Amino acid sequence: MHQLLKTFKVALKAINKNRSRSLLTILGIIIGVGAVIMTISAGEGATKQVQDQISGLGSNLLMIYTKMEHRGGSNVRMGKPIDKRDFDILQKNAVFISKLSPIIVVGAQAIGPNGYKSTAIYGVSNEYFDVLSRELYSGDFFKEEDVKNASKVCVIGETNREELFVNLDPIGRKIRIDKIPFTVVGLLKEEGQGAMGQDQDDLIIAPYTTVQNRLHGRRRGYDMIMASALNENCISEAKIEAAELLRESHRILEGEENDFEITTQVELQEITGNITGILTILLGAIASISLLVGGIGIMNIMLVSVTERTREIGTRLAIGARESDILIQFLIEAITLSLVGGLFGVLLGVVGNQIIYKITDFYIPTAMYSILIGFGFSALVGIAFGYFPARKAAKLNPIDALRYE
Amino acid sequence: MTAKKVIETKKVSRVFKNGEIEVHALTDIDLIIVEGEFVAIMGASGSGKSTLLNILGCLDKPTSGDYYLDNVHVNMLNKNQLADIRNQKIGFIFQSYNLLSRTTALENVELPLVYDRTGRFSNSKEIARQALELVGLADRIYHRTNQLSGGEQQRVAIARALVNDPALILSDEATGNLDSKASIDVADLFVKLNNKGKTIVMITHEPEIAQFAKRMIYLRDGKVLTDEFIKNRSTKEQALLDLELTS
Repeated sequence: MHQLLKTFKVALKAINKNRSRSLLTILGIIIGVGAVIMTISAGEGATKQVQDQISGLGSNLLMIYTKMEHRGGSNVRMGKPIDKRDFDILQKNAVFISKLSPIIVVGAQAIGPNGYKSTAIYGVSNEYFDVLSRELYSGDFFKEEDVKNASKVCVIGETNREELFVNLDPIGRKIRIDKIPFTVVGLLKEEGQGAMGQDQDDLIIAPYTTVQNRLHGRRRGYDMIMASALNENCISEAKIEAAELLRESHRILEGEENDFEITTQVELQEITGNITGILTILLGAIASISLLVGGIGIMNIMLVSVTERTREIGTRLAIGARESDILIQFLIEAITLSLVGGLFGVLLGVVGNQIIYKITDFYIPTAMYSILIGFGFSALVGIAFGYFPARKAAKLNPIDALRYE
Repeated sequence: MTAKKVIETKKVSRVFKNGEIEVHALTDIDLIIVEGEFVAIMGASGSGKSTLLNILGCLDKPTSGDYYLDNVHVNMLNKNQLADIRNQKIGFIFQSYNLLSRTTALENVELPLVYDRTGRFSNSKEIARQALELVGLADRIYHRTNQLSGGEQQRVAIARALVNDPALILSDEATGNLDSKASIDVADLFVKLNNKGKTIVMITHEPEIAQFAKRMIYLRDGKVLTDEFIKNRSTKEQALLDLELTS
């Protein structure tokens, strides 16, 4: 035990004597560990953000839309559009659906008292707010009568408030959309960037009846119907039921394919799960490469260091160090460098994630397993390549070690 | 009363095998060196003097024959015991000093005590300081290796060889890298240590350095050619005077 303590002191002294080499080794480990933690965490963060956003849509969500096909570079509707008839049938007959709203999207220019902006106008029913569970920052949603009367009212997102009103309170004021005045009744709570990078606050929501009559150019049909299943357990029943009702409504014969599609939130999650899974694998691959490069760096510097010190090992053996004294000394050196480098690497990773969050608003929770992988791997490499060459040197005949050039 | 035997070899041979070729570096060396002796080993290169010193220093083992160091039968020892023997009974001095770089004289001299397992030295710093004082480097103890001259470095190495109070000091061409003046200083230091009772065996190829010893062994082809006591031992003053005359 006493001998071990002495060897420990010898090892720390040796690290101190070879200061620049020790610092380089530590630096290599720091960068390796930090890079791994940051890349893995970024992948995890992106996945989690997408998943959260989709589950934020409400797990009961069903989206019903006309079947689209990709033709000549653009999406073409393949069937009869989803229209008022379909909507009424679903509203009247679907027992597994609790709430539903048509959705019509048009692009238009909105002009406010302090600015203007091209934006997306969403025509929806008052039930839309329940289906999507979006929250208000101030004011109120529009009501059923507004939909019935095709009132010129709207709820706006934060991006539009900023552009159109700047520092005015928008509630109760008027904006013009395609020259038609709308009264702003509510302001949506800010949501930030969406899963795919889109601005979720750049929209204006108005009653679909108003949008259809005034802005839509009286085209037939809706872009989509969004619906909520009664509860999470009857989503597939709701999907089957809606499909049956729509087949009937669209007069699709038995054996013929649907001319519409119904996607549930669960399915959406699966699709995006696949995409983000690929993203994580990709980032993981990048992380593995940086780990490999870092590992080779550590390996290199450890090997060189031990080879360079073969004569020192010879001297120590000649004046009476046992093989085990040498081994333990180099082991302690390697462990110390790996631990110090690893700890600072973890620090770099965690702080780096925070800095990215501060700069880009992209929240990256540091994944625990990335710390374990990064730290574990570099410690393993550092210790292995500090230890094995030292073992080789310690096993040498002292004379051969002394003569080593 | 006979003096205590520090070294006794009985028919010690060392054969190096290099593939098919066998090189007989040492053949049947019988040698007794008693306490308080100061022996110079000379010989051409390849005569086996370094091989002999390595065996005497427990850095190498004889192929055949027996070696007793301070009455310990070295042939029977395992690696760890050999390390301990080197640590406790031998002080080794090398031609190229073999000091730790970027390390102070004091830390270098302390090093053998780090590996001491007997616990005989309670205050290793103080003992190391005394050893440095003995070799005349009291004012250099906190100098790093690279701040010292060759002669000073070799004296640090000598202090390191002394620090564990060994039964035997072995020197492998200690003056080989030094100029004449520094060589004479080192040889004189050996004489002083020997006067204090240290047993010293040194390899040298410089006759004027060998003249400082009490006994000279001349090796040729792995065998002892001559082994005699030196009648007119050199002194530091004598050697310095000769140096002046020849230059």
